[in-house]
Amino acid sequence: MEYPGGGVSMTQFIFTFLNGITLAGLYFLVASGLTLIFGLMRVINLAHGAFYLLAGYVSWTIADKTDNWFYGALAGSLTLGVFGTLVYVLLLRKFQYEELRVALITLGVSLVLAQAMLAIFGGEYYQTNIPKNLSKSVPIPGFELSYPFFRIFVLILAILVAVGLWIFISKTRYGAIIRAGVDDTSMVSALGINVQAVFIWIFFLGSVLVGFAGAVGATTNSFGMGTDGDYLLFSLQVVIIGGLGSIGGVAIGSFLVGVIGQFATGYFPTYAGIITFTMLILVLAFRPQGILGRKQ
Amino acid sequence: MSRIRIVYTVVIAFALAFPYITPDPDFWVSSGGARALWLGVTALSMSFLNRNLGLMSLGQLFFSGVTGYIVAISSVYHNVKFGTSVPLGILAGTLSGVIIGYIALKTKGVYFFMLTLAVTLGLYSFANQAQEITHGHTGINSIPSPIILGMDFAYTKPLYYLFLAIAVFLFAACKFLESTSFGIALKGVRDNEDRMISMGYRTMPLKMIAFVFSSFIASISGVMGVFYVTNISPDSVGLLRSIDLLVIVVVGGATYLGGAFVGAVLIAVFEAIIQDFTQYYVAATGILFIVVLMLAPQGLMGITAQLRARRTIKANS
Repeated sequence: MEYPGGGVSMTQFIFTFLNGITLAGLYFLVASGLTLIFGLMRVINLAHGAFYLLAGYVSWTIADKTDNWFYGALAGSLTLGVFGTLVYVLLLRKFQYEELRVALITLGVSLVLAQAMLAIFGGEYYQTNIPKNLSKSVPIPGFELSYPFFRIFVLILAILVAVGLWIFISKTRYGAIIRAGVDDTSMVSALGINVQAVFIWIFFLGSVLVGFAGAVGATTNSFGMGTDGDYLLFSLQVVIIGGLGSIGGVAIGSFLVGVIGQFATGYFPTYAGIITFTMLILVLAFRPQGILGRKQ
Repeated sequence: MSRIRIVYTVVIAFALAFPYITPDPDFWVSSGGARALWLGVTALSMSFLNRNLGLMSLGQLFFSGVTGYIVAISSVYHNVKFGTSVPLGILAGTLSGVIIGYIALKTKGVYFFMLTLAVTLGLYSFANQAQEITHGHTGINSIPSPIILGMDFAYTKPLYYLFLAIAVFLFAACKFLESTSFGIALKGVRDNEDRMISMGYRTMPLKMIAFVFSSFIASISGVMGVFYVTNISPDSVGLLRSIDLLVIVVVGGATYLGGAFVGAVLIAVFEAIIQDFTQYYVAATGILFIVVLMLAPQGLMGITAQLRARRTIKANS
């Protein structure tokens, strides 16, 4: 990633930090759907990267046709919500309690999706235009520098989604039903609640989240063939470091992977991969379940 | 002779005769035979772990990749002879298994699977970024073929027989390890680790030895890959390649050692044939994978056992 400005080392430091923390916002949006579905249903969706890329293509196409970024984001989120739910109902639901089998099936889905997208959109790279009313720069207080507003907007979105998810799951009646349905499916069914429907809604919500993340990420970064693998890796790093199944863990994991990853890329481009990787190994050496993960 | 011995004899006799009985040998000995043996050995390292420890690892391509890159870089850019670079590469790949194993073996099930996937994807992104070392996306091309005792392995038949010898040797080594007391202890760990611990076994060293042995097999397959493909690039360790490997293991039968080779032959033949009909053979492989997972999770090797179990259930009900 390039940094706007550059030059003096202090400038580079500030831009690297801002890039890192706004990228962390994007990572949070991407990984939150993965961790939500896993945390509540024990289903791990390894087609997550392919979902992200599909949302990118859909939102780019719609935003390009309608000339409206928000329609694109809406279309990306809803398409993925529907698509993810279909994958769950048709392919995964029957084996929901066989974790590894489900993970393998989703990998198969990602293989099919990757090729289908390559066939439709080709090998070129795309990037959605930033909505006009958000494409300005904001000054950084204390320095004579400015930073693209849209990236800050992504960070704000991530914080809003984080708070929203937390309130939804731990403070509302629906959240209570979801948590109860996961802990004791038969008891909750006996209370007259349709647990199957609850699971479908969770999968829908998790897929909408990755769809939205795809629309946002398609605007901040270019995307194309291979982006699915990259974002699957980022999501895995984030949830492995932070702890799978915990929203707070995703926040911490995103922050570490985003900020440290940006500093590594900015200062030691050749060894950036190794630095992030070493961080992952170090965290796991002391906490195999991740920073906020529950013991397996 | 027991039935299993007859099967082995027939399979090996067929494999030995294959270059002389196949139609269109120029194509099939390389794209069918040698390719299946190379993929089969990589898959064998995965099946060995899954069968004996119940762990599905996607980290095997990491070890193959480390070895492959070391052999490729040292022979193309530093004129190191294969006699030095191949043992060094295999050693490095195997030793990296010690580090990865130490971390990954603390986890189980789907966590282990995710972690090893992340390890392989990590190598992919490193290989893409570290231009100075790996030449990034273009990778390292025109790796020379080995010449052993005056025999040039650029030709398909010698390469095929070399691969066959490696495959038979490693398969036999796996079978031998499984028959030792070490192999039996491993199965104990797989089935009930807590009970093994209370019986006084230190399970971590057992698991480490199995993991490092499997990374040793994967490292050897990394050398085979370099000799077969004659180039190495980030895509050699990418997501698609990892899934391809998984398809082989699952379609063949993930709890059978022979499943690795059954799956590899099937996928090599399937892809070689379907390429003529559709350019979307990766998607076709993906669909085959999903269908097998949904209908026959034990793979082809397990189909008879699955049918027998179903018949027993029907007979009892």
